[in-house]
Amino acid sequence: MKYIKKFLNIIIFLLIWQMFIFIFKIPNYLFPSPIEVLNSLIINYKVIVYNGFITLGESLSGFLIANCISVVIALVISFNDRYENFIMSIAVTLKTIPIIATTPLLVLWFGSGFYSKIVTAAFVCFFPSLVNTLRGIRSMDKNLIELFNIYSTSTYQKIRYLIIPSILPYLFSAFKISSSLSLIGALTGEFITANKGIGFLIISNYYSLNIAAVFANIVTISLMGVGFYNLINFFEKKIIKWNTVENS
Amino acid sequence: MIRIESLSKSYGNFLILDDINLDIKDGEFVSILGSFGCGKTTLMKIIGGLIDNYKGTIKIDGVNPIEILKKRKIGFCFQKANLLPWRNIIKNISLPLELNDDKESLNKSKKLLKMVELESIASKKIWEISGGTQQLVSILRSLALDPNILLLDEPFSSIDEISRSKLHSKLIKMHQKTKQTIIMITHSIDEAVFLSDKIIVLTKNPAKIKKIIKIDFLKRDESIKNSKNYISYIKKIRTLLKG
Repeated sequence: MKYIKKFLNIIIFLLIWQMFIFIFKIPNYLFPSPIEVLNSLIINYKVIVYNGFITLGESLSGFLIANCISVVIALVISFNDRYENFIMSIAVTLKTIPIIATTPLLVLWFGSGFYSKIVTAAFVCFFPSLVNTLRGIRSMDKNLIELFNIYSTSTYQKIRYLIIPSILPYLFSAFKISSSLSLIGALTGEFITANKGIGFLIISNYYSLNIAAVFANIVTISLMGVGFYNLINFFEKKIIKWNTVENS
Repeated sequence: MIRIESLSKSYGNFLILDDINLDIKDGEFVSILGSFGCGKTTLMKIIGGLIDNYKGTIKIDGVNPIEILKKRKIGFCFQKANLLPWRNIIKNISLPLELNDDKESLNKSKKLLKMVELESIASKKIWEISGGTQQLVSILRSLALDPNILLLDEPFSSIDEISRSKLHSKLIKMHQKTKQTIIMITHSIDEAVFLSDKIIVLTKNPAKIKKIIKIDFLKRDESIKNSKNYISYIKKIRTLLKG
């Protein structure tokens, strides 16, 4: 029933869009109708799928790198409080720089290929991931920490048996936020310089005024974002069932 | 044997424990009673080796409690069950054994569950069992490493009367089988009299030992609760706590 409702909402939205174009007679080089967008998707599906996988690869790599680095940094901070101010001030400074301003530099340093897009995606994901992971560590149950102190556990045992499972709900929140951010990062990198990827397709179709294809690529990237988010949501529900139960 | 001599503990200028002298024999079940915030938990943490800056001496079989704690020979159970929600019941009990790299961890945990006739809940998640059973699982976890001493800090305070009574019977059975030294903090005089061999009544701040009462019953079951002896112990302790 939930899915039927969602499907009906999409159909209604597309109908309104189609009628809007029809009534106001908007030219397709400004705003194409959903039928034209669908047509473009069907005609260009091979190119879109190929380039979609490239963008997905870039964003997924950036996503993984950012989350791994932020977890390691958060763990270091959790065992050595004195580094927190130093690391957080650098992280906040980096966060305040708009990604669009740093991307040309990243292209200069990492080349115009795959790597600069991965770094751009990682750069965008890093801060929210670090903040969420740290929040998870800071809000760990004090009683459980005391329990592990009683067992005189090693650092490795604490990380494996207590910290990682405890912060999983926060990690998944970070994953959800950075899933869409990583796509934005990869796309930004592709806008600056690229000859592959959805960002490249959007820009090249824009220059040739093929706006229906621009829309088709925007729909593709949105679907990728929704899919990525839902995949994380699915694993979250599977892996951290206790959190859903505790919160209910 | 636990021997405490001239034990004092202050937090800044605030004296919490004052000149505590106490002997606890191996296998004894001892309860500590006293008003809220009088220093019972501090005393227990000192015995358990969790607090080390105090005056006086405390030896467990001639050894400093911190050494015993490092060897994981002291079991703790708190007011909250403190179970790990991402592990099922059997895996919660086996946690200290896993941390000790014990390859028999699951078998040993199963035996503990069997001891309290709860084998059926082994694979359940913690949210699938009652608060009382969670507390019992927490006690079993603290027994997993076969500790010499078990320290219980108000383990039944958040449990309803009926579940509490069931847990008392299980704890008595468990104690009879394991013969561990148990030290329990409680606010329930009834609970202390029913379970203990010895009750220590502490004064208000700073905590001193007001009286040590030896509890003597031939058997431990619900029937003793109607005996004259039982009622007289309760009256005596109540008077001591009021005074």
